[in-house]
Amino acid sequence: MLDVKNLMVFYENALAINNINMSAQKGKITGVFGANSAGKSTLMYTISGIILDVKKKEEMKGGERITVLGSILFEGVEITHLKPSERAKRGIILCPERRRIFPESTALENLRIGGYLATKEQARKTMDYVFTIFPPLQKLKGREGGFLSGGEQQMLAIGRALMAQPKLLLLDEPLLGLSPLMEVMLARAIRDINQQTGITILITEQYARPVLPIIHYGYILENGGAVLQGTSQELMENPDVKSAYFGL
Amino acid sequence: MDILIYGIVNSFSLALMAIGFTLVYGISRLPNFAHGALYVITGFGVWWFIHQLHLNYVLSILFALILMGLIGAGIYRFVLIRVRGMATSEIIATYALGLAILEFLRWRGFKGMTYTLPVFIEGSIHIAGVPIDLQRIMVIAIGIVVVSFMWLFTHYNKTGLALRGMAQDEHAAMMLGIDSDRMAIIAMAIGSILAGLSAIVLLPLGNIVVEAGYNVLILSIAVCIVGGLGSWVGAILAAFMIGFVQILTVRYIQSHFHMVVALLAIILTLILRPSGLFGRQKELEERV
Repeated sequence: MLDVKNLMVFYENALAINNINMSAQKGKITGVFGANSAGKSTLMYTISGIILDVKKKEEMKGGERITVLGSILFEGVEITHLKPSERAKRGIILCPERRRIFPESTALENLRIGGYLATKEQARKTMDYVFTIFPPLQKLKGREGGFLSGGEQQMLAIGRALMAQPKLLLLDEPLLGLSPLMEVMLARAIRDINQQTGITILITEQYARPVLPIIHYGYILENGGAVLQGTSQELMENPDVKSAYFGL
Repeated sequence: MDILIYGIVNSFSLALMAIGFTLVYGISRLPNFAHGALYVITGFGVWWFIHQLHLNYVLSILFALILMGLIGAGIYRFVLIRVRGMATSEIIATYALGLAILEFLRWRGFKGMTYTLPVFIEGSIHIAGVPIDLQRIMVIAIGIVVVSFMWLFTHYNKTGLALRGMAQDEHAAMMLGIDSDRMAIIAMAIGSILAGLSAIVLLPLGNIVVEAGYNVLILSIAVCIVGGLGSWVGAILAAFMIGFVQILTVRYIQSHFHMVVALLAIILTLILRPSGLFGRQKELEERV
């Protein structure tokens, strides 16, 4: 469904992503793991196209020079140079790191803004679905996004992304800064979303333990390059992964 | 009593003038310094439609508003899109455009006392012993309608909600498929239509003069700065504050000082509370 070929991203002369080749299979959950500064978020921004807007803004004010090389194919079509909104229309929706909830809009409005690309019918159905997988949101409908807790915001952010009718859902560090209980609950919800709706999911995470069991295939990034890949089982049994991510 | 009534009227006129400016800034962070010029061309546009093309009043208003929407969208599409993201250039570009439009009108001889628009309804009534003409009542009525319409639009309409999303977090909105250029064009079009609408409501109270363009711009900026840039609640509150102070000044000091109030308000706000009454975002930045 998604194929990334020879992708390289530079900030000025610093290499953020070094020649990554990867793909996400339709209907599967693909994981990308790595420490801070391994290039996970840059990868997500590049796939969703946000990096092109950042690049344009930096050029306008004469700031950092950003270079993107290589190609990204979505459903066999080259999308490397498409605007973020165009990519979203094709079904690539990013649920960003640190959630980026609209703080002054209520939870319900956040979901409705998320439904910008959806038809009325789709929006209604998806909203019902969001409340079924995240029942706590039901009670928080009228509360402003900025007043929600981290876990509530994360549920809302995933719900908001679902409202945009994704074919490929990009989750950037969805478990960042959450309690262990919340981590387990969200990881389960992500697996359920994948199983119930068939949406392809690409998930990045620094902390692999709760996520590794739910993915089908995974990549390990280090210093911008993919150093290891394999199925969930292979990764869990790999001694390097064990020592680095499970502390065994 | 007359202070109260005329204060309210004056406040609503200020709110009407400023709402377009606030809206555009609040949504797309674009300072539209051509706002005053748009106000004036609407006036002359309607006048021209009525007197040169002999259209009826309602039709002229409608055409003028549509024209304003197109001009606003055009300003973004052909001018601002090229300097987007460079705040100073945006101000210079829109201000230059406004200046060019106003001075072009002056050069073509659109000045003097000859250009007036008819009031909507003739006549006046007495409220608590104070005579007030119906056009001024219309100012209040349309002010209320516009503010509530904009509130409903941004809370219940899909595009309105998307505009608010864009205003809060541009990238997060983009990730959901909302296009920033498209939203900015819509914001500019709506902002310009609102500028035009305020002109249509307010101009029948006096003559259409080129200078009004500069005054409207200064007043709009004053309202926005006092209220906190981009904040609606703030803008409406600020319109009331400045509006009443202006009327009190006219009554107790001298009518010349009426413009001074607005300028003084800008200066005082910038010294005492640079983020304005409701400038939440800026305040956070200052704290950091």
